[in-house]
Amino acid sequence: MIPEICAMGLHFRLDGFRLVYLCIAVLMWTVSGVFSLEYMAHYKKKRRYYLFFWATFIATAGVFLSADFYTTFIFFEIMSFTSYVWVAFDERKESLRAAETYLAVAVIGGMVMLMGLFLLDNLFGTLAFDELGTEAGKILRGELGIRQQACALGSPRTQLYVASGLLLFGFGAKAGCFPLHIWLPKAHPVAPAPASALLSGILTKAGVFGVIVVSCVMLGTSGEWGMLVACLGLVTMFLGGLLALFSINLKRTLACSSVSQIGFILTGIGMSCLLRYAGKDIGLAVEGTFLHMVNHSLFKLVLFLCAAAVFMNLHQLDLNDIRGFGRKKPMLLFCYLMGALGISGVPLWSGYISKTLIHESIVEYAEAVNEAGPAAGQLMAGPAFWRGAEWLFLLSGGLTVAYMLKLFFVLFIDIHPTRQKEFDDMSGSYMRPLSGFVLALPSVIILALGVIASSKMDRLAYLGREFFRWEGQGSLEAYFSPGNLSGGMISLGIGMVLYSLVVRLWMMDKGSGRYVDRWPAWMDLEEVLYRPAIRLMVVISLVACRILEHMTDGLILAARKTTHRQIPSVPSTAGKGKVYGKRRRWHWMRPSWTTQFLLLSVGRLRRSGRLVEESFSYGLMLVCIGLCLTLGYLLLAFLRG
Amino acid sequence: MNVMEGQLVLLLPVIVPIGAGLLILLAKAFGQNRSLLAGTVVLALAAEMVLVLVALGNGKSLAVWRMTDMLTLDFQIDSVSRIFASLTVTVWFLVGLYAISYMSHEQEEQRFFGFYLIVLGVLIGLDFSGNLITLYVFYELMTLTSLPLVLHERTREASMAGLKYLFYSVAGAFLALFGILFLAGTANNLTFVPGGMPGVQNAVFSGKEGLLLAAVFCLLIGFGAKAGMFPLHGWLPTAHPVAPAPASALMSGVITKAGVLAVIRVVYFVVGPEAIRGTWVQDGWIFLSLLTVFMGSLLAYKEPLLKKRLAYSTVSQVSYILFGLGMLQPTAFVGALSHVVFHSLIKNALFLCAGAMILHTGKTKVKDMAGLGKDMPVTLSCFTIVSLALIGIPPASGFVSKWYLATGALASGTGAWAWIGPVMLLVSALLTAGYLLPLTIQGFFPGADLADGRPEKGERVTKPELSAWMLVPVLALTAGSLLLGCFPGGILAMLKTIASAVL
Repeated sequence: MIPEICAMGLHFRLDGFRLVYLCIAVLMWTVSGVFSLEYMAHYKKKRRYYLFFWATFIATAGVFLSADFYTTFIFFEIMSFTSYVWVAFDERKESLRAAETYLAVAVIGGMVMLMGLFLLDNLFGTLAFDELGTEAGKILRGELGIRQQACALGSPRTQLYVASGLLLFGFGAKAGCFPLHIWLPKAHPVAPAPASALLSGILTKAGVFGVIVVSCVMLGTSGEWGMLVACLGLVTMFLGGLLALFSINLKRTLACSSVSQIGFILTGIGMSCLLRYAGKDIGLAVEGTFLHMVNHSLFKLVLFLCAAAVFMNLHQLDLNDIRGFGRKKPMLLFCYLMGALGISGVPLWSGYISKTLIHESIVEYAEAVNEAGPAAGQLMAGPAFWRGAEWLFLLSGGLTVAYMLKLFFVLFIDIHPTRQKEFDDMSGSYMRPLSGFVLALPSVIILALGVIASSKMDRLAYLGREFFRWEGQGSLEAYFSPGNLSGGMISLGIGMVLYSLVVRLWMMDKGSGRYVDRWPAWMDLEEVLYRPAIRLMVVISLVACRILEHMTDGLILAARKTTHRQIPSVPSTAGKGKVYGKRRRWHWMRPSWTTQFLLLSVGRLRRSGRLVEESFSYGLMLVCIGLCLTLGYLLLAFLRG
Repeated sequence: MNVMEGQLVLLLPVIVPIGAGLLILLAKAFGQNRSLLAGTVVLALAAEMVLVLVALGNGKSLAVWRMTDMLTLDFQIDSVSRIFASLTVTVWFLVGLYAISYMSHEQEEQRFFGFYLIVLGVLIGLDFSGNLITLYVFYELMTLTSLPLVLHERTREASMAGLKYLFYSVAGAFLALFGILFLAGTANNLTFVPGGMPGVQNAVFSGKEGLLLAAVFCLLIGFGAKAGMFPLHGWLPTAHPVAPAPASALMSGVITKAGVLAVIRVVYFVVGPEAIRGTWVQDGWIFLSLLTVFMGSLLAYKEPLLKKRLAYSTVSQVSYILFGLGMLQPTAFVGALSHVVFHSLIKNALFLCAGAMILHTGKTKVKDMAGLGKDMPVTLSCFTIVSLALIGIPPASGFVSKWYLATGALASGTGAWAWIGPVMLLVSALLTAGYLLPLTIQGFFPGADLADGRPEKGERVTKPELSAWMLVPVLALTAGSLLLGCFPGGILAMLKTIASAVL
């Protein structure tokens, strides 16, 4: 703890979860930092990039280490602003527009979050996570302290939910949760690829960090809250996957995939609240969430750096232009496969483990609902809903498989119609050995984590116990039991089917084999809804403000036109800029003055005379008004005795 | 009739700059010899700093002139005067350094610096004043002596703007005068006492509560004119763009705070916060200040001229302070007073940067200033940092004051205002980001087309970005607004003691 900084002091803590994320942050920044050396070699303004690169690292580390919301917020804001530079970095038109979106989402999210913090601070008088947890628990159970009874802003329970909702908005905006995911698909394609890896791999996790604190620490026992987060998660997961499948830009696909994977994580968080609410062990959900966060960070690091390797050589991201680039490049193939197999949840890779855990948590809750049967009134939603949720989950998993397959075919199977020879010639020189090494490093970790899952990943997940407020023991032992494998297999199957039917048949132009963007262009939340809404609001309030603005001036003007009307003056020929011309009075003395000049001077004299007269009469009038007021007051005082 | 009882050390900081200013105005030598002028100004400002420090350290009270028992000119030092006086003199010194370099591009420096020093003396007098009469006298003096700063350019717009400034200030002061007369007539005592006149007010004002409230409201609106509160805010956006940059910086950063000081003195030191708590005056006050907060920032958002945009921003930001004061709650009070300090530093830095940019590019509209980051990286970086501070991005200073304002508002128990206020502050912060950041963004990220189209480094005329005289004040103000945000402990502790004394 560092007292006094920014008035309230900064509070930090290191526990298992934070340690893991600190390690991941260090790993990610090192890897992409090293990779940047090659990637950024041809850019101008490298110094600016590196400065903000490391500034963001410090800010991100600060977020993950923080032990109260005040500290979180401070570093969160710094992180948002320093990472802005990444998005706007290359100053192209679309980058600047994307950066605008990014900044708008970040600032609006930040302000909304701040409002939430004000409310929380008002409610509890503290923002430390631990105390918030206990205090919020008391409110949810209906025990009120003195402070809360004095609180006049609606019932404390409402205030707690409103505050949490605002915080969810703020953190969710950064995490890329629907409907605030708009910045991800825009910002990622334009940022330098190593920076996109960080944006997607770890900056979004800073948002998730906040959501976890709100959901697991503060509102861990609230079923309604769990339901909200889980539903948001399910929608985000599905929509992100859908967007990714439609996308025909390499980095945009990865960005949308991030949205989708964040949806998985949010679902996990929501399930942990629901399970706790139902009185079950939350182990499955917690382990799944935590591991999926870790995994996703690693996957996205690898995948974005693969994209970086492509972009570095071709300066293209459109899937049609990069077809076949990966052929005859085994190193790239290996790394891409590790990332893709991992994220698709293929057994033996780490993504399978975390997805299975989240899946199982849904199943477990659905069972709880079933067990409760008709008396399930207090549990959230009916069995049908949870069956639907489970299938949505598997379908989203399928979408992941499908878009990863799409990218795989584009990069490694398809043949570029004209430049294939050129691509093949690059096989030896497309990446420096150092870059290759750092790219391989996280790929190997993914594989390792997946293979020795039961022993190592459990232990890893166990580190999150304290942070997630998980007290129970149980977790899934048999990751490769038939029951669990079947879930993964269904997803894989859906993915293959989707790819072969939808992508191959519908999203590709038959004749040329080109990929076509089938997403309707108008379906863009930002363009359809957000920007016009903001514009409309600004216009309406602007009209109101302009009216108010001119009210006083208008009154004065009206007075000048009526009670203080100015007699039209002789137009001055001396030019407008010289009202206070120099040495005016000496003009009289000049021997060579003409008739015209005399007229002019007389006119001036008359004008200044009038000015004096007018000011004098104005002064008199003010005095009269003052006298009247005084008289009236005296009269009033006299009458009242 | 009594003259001078007490410590003369309090009189010197008022007399010395006024004397120096008059000397500069009257002696011809200053018109011909620029270095003499500059030397005298710096010397006078430095001496003033020492004098103020001494006065603040040792001074207690001084009766300057006792005409009748009622009409006295009293100086008195308390914590509020300490904060305002030290802020004023520091900022005045820094801006003075800047002005010496900046004004070499303008005419009639002699007159500018003469009035520059005189206004400083008057402001210190205002900060030191120990009763409402003294405050009013110096308040009017301030309006009159600062008028030449607005008029400086002597163009038609400048003189019209000057007249508008005069009209609004005088109209406001007359409104206030009514309130003062009522208070003087009824309470017979206008000396500043922390927390207002305890006990007395209930007895004296019984039966006249309605009139008391009306008087207080007149005082608020009247003094609010200087602080740019709706409906008398109109002079700010007119006067700022025409005045020279150092003058607009001070108008915005320091002179508006004189209105705030007057409001603090009236509400917290004469009438007492309890007299208006929960009345329509408090509601009206909060409503007007919030309206101004929103209106100012929205108009700034849509304003193309840089200096006018900053002027609207002042309208909005000073009303943050008035809002905090209107909450009548200790935490919000701390927030308001800390925002006085922070906003003063920030807005001065913004105006000084803007002045340098306008001087350098010869353009006045924001959208013409794309690509500035290449020519003026230091200025624009400072501008960016203080912009972030004004928006309230931690760890810069605006965040701290906003935190106190909002948490104080929530705890104030003023019904719906308690949450409308913070929401308004955040909306306005959003708009602040909207009107300040575009300059930074297009300055540093002008877009690839523009960057390519410009001549290479060698071909461009290499003008030095800022002279040292201008650079130092800008850097100092920026550093101040950043560091005070990181380490506000000292200021906040001081403000908390004031708050506990008056509330």
